[in-house]
Amino acid sequence: MDVAIQEVVRPATIAEALATLARADARPIAGGTDLMVQLRDGRRHAACLVDLGRLGLGGVRRDGDAVEIGAATTMDAIAGDAAIRGWFPALASAAGQVGGWPIQCRATLGGNLANGSPAADTAGPLLIAGAGVIVVAPGGRRRVPIAEFFLGPGRTALRQGELIAAVRLPLAEPPAGRRVVERFVKVGPRREQVISVASLAGRAVVGRDGALEQVRIALGSVAPTPVRATAAERALCGRRPDAAARRDAVRAVQRDIAPIDDVRAPARYRRIAVAVLLDRFLREVERG
Amino acid sequence: MVDRVTVTLILNGERRRFEVPPGRRLLDLLRDDAGLTGTKEGCGAGECGACTVLLDGVPVTSCLVLAASADGREVVTVEGLGSGALHPFQEALVARGGVQCGFCTPGVAVTGAAALARGATGAERVRLLAGNLCRCTGYAKILAALDDAAEGTTDAPA
Repeated sequence: MDVAIQEVVRPATIAEALATLARADARPIAGGTDLMVQLRDGRRHAACLVDLGRLGLGGVRRDGDAVEIGAATTMDAIAGDAAIRGWFPALASAAGQVGGWPIQCRATLGGNLANGSPAADTAGPLLIAGAGVIVVAPGGRRRVPIAEFFLGPGRTALRQGELIAAVRLPLAEPPAGRRVVERFVKVGPRREQVISVASLAGRAVVGRDGALEQVRIALGSVAPTPVRATAAERALCGRRPDAAARRDAVRAVQRDIAPIDDVRAPARYRRIAVAVLLDRFLREVERG
Repeated sequence: MVDRVTVTLILNGERRRFEVPPGRRLLDLLRDDAGLTGTKEGCGAGECGACTVLLDGVPVTSCLVLAASADGREVVTVEGLGSGALHPFQEALVARGGVQCGFCTPGVAVTGAAALARGATGAERVRLLAGNLCRCTGYAKILAALDDAAEGTTDAPA
């Protein structure tokens, strides 16, 4: 069945796209893998869709001391990109688990963020990478730190009429002799089809003595937005991820989250799932 | 009455032009406007893979693609997969008995053909096929057919 819209615009330039998006009844569409379902179910409405497919916003490029991923880059392209697999393996892994392959070939990084879901699988890996979201508006560009991008379920720092152009990930070479372990893991009834019940992105820099010199953990689907687990990080920093440290971290992480009961899982299950995911990640870090 | 939009596709190798409502899905354009009913609608939400077609060579769930977004691009449906004959993966599905009720088969055939074109092997083949649900076969014969097609041994023993 047709989705209930009145008009589709396919601009060739960002300026044209922004001009149309100034209309209150216009909404951008890229891969459409979330938006088409929301329009079909009446959860979102738009009279006019602005198709971003001709703006040339796809692709991954090295830019000085950062990697910039165009907003229209598909999950499939991110999962297969050599630079991302090398520098940001949690992001590559997450992109390879967003829906089945036909979804990954269509869904875009910009869309995964703009949708504002607490379950957005790419959000955690971007949080631990300290990424910035490059936003374009008629007045110019601005950079929004990913930690400030998500405001609540379905709500982001994007204002009406703005577009995500790219996501910028700073490259940080760990000091010599350190070991880096980076992972993305998620829990759900079936990985390819479901929205995550809980997800964890972790990055640990391990010193020669086995202690955690730096540890970053981000969690999805357990709070109104994707979140950094700062209490757990504090509990771990400077320690070896042994049984005592893992126990403290699993206790601390409960303060980082505010899960709810919904159709996918009860809050209590999410609390347990996060504890298990964190413990597993830390065991992997310890094993090396 | 909303204005119609013009959508021009290279559809199974042939240039075709359609005038459709702006909210038309690629799935409905293919089935209702182009008369290509091989592509099936299962869930309509991108979860089952039954409506998978190739858009510029990569598999997409056509229930989530706005027809207007495909304008000027190349679309291959199950009808065009083997250009006149069956695609080797389709032949292997027949030989292996990888088809039962058949509803998922067009999507499976399209995704499998794309996986072969990418040169996927082993566990990667399983990962790429995981977005196409089949409630009949249990997948073993589908994956065996994909292996057969990759090795060029479509006359597999029963």
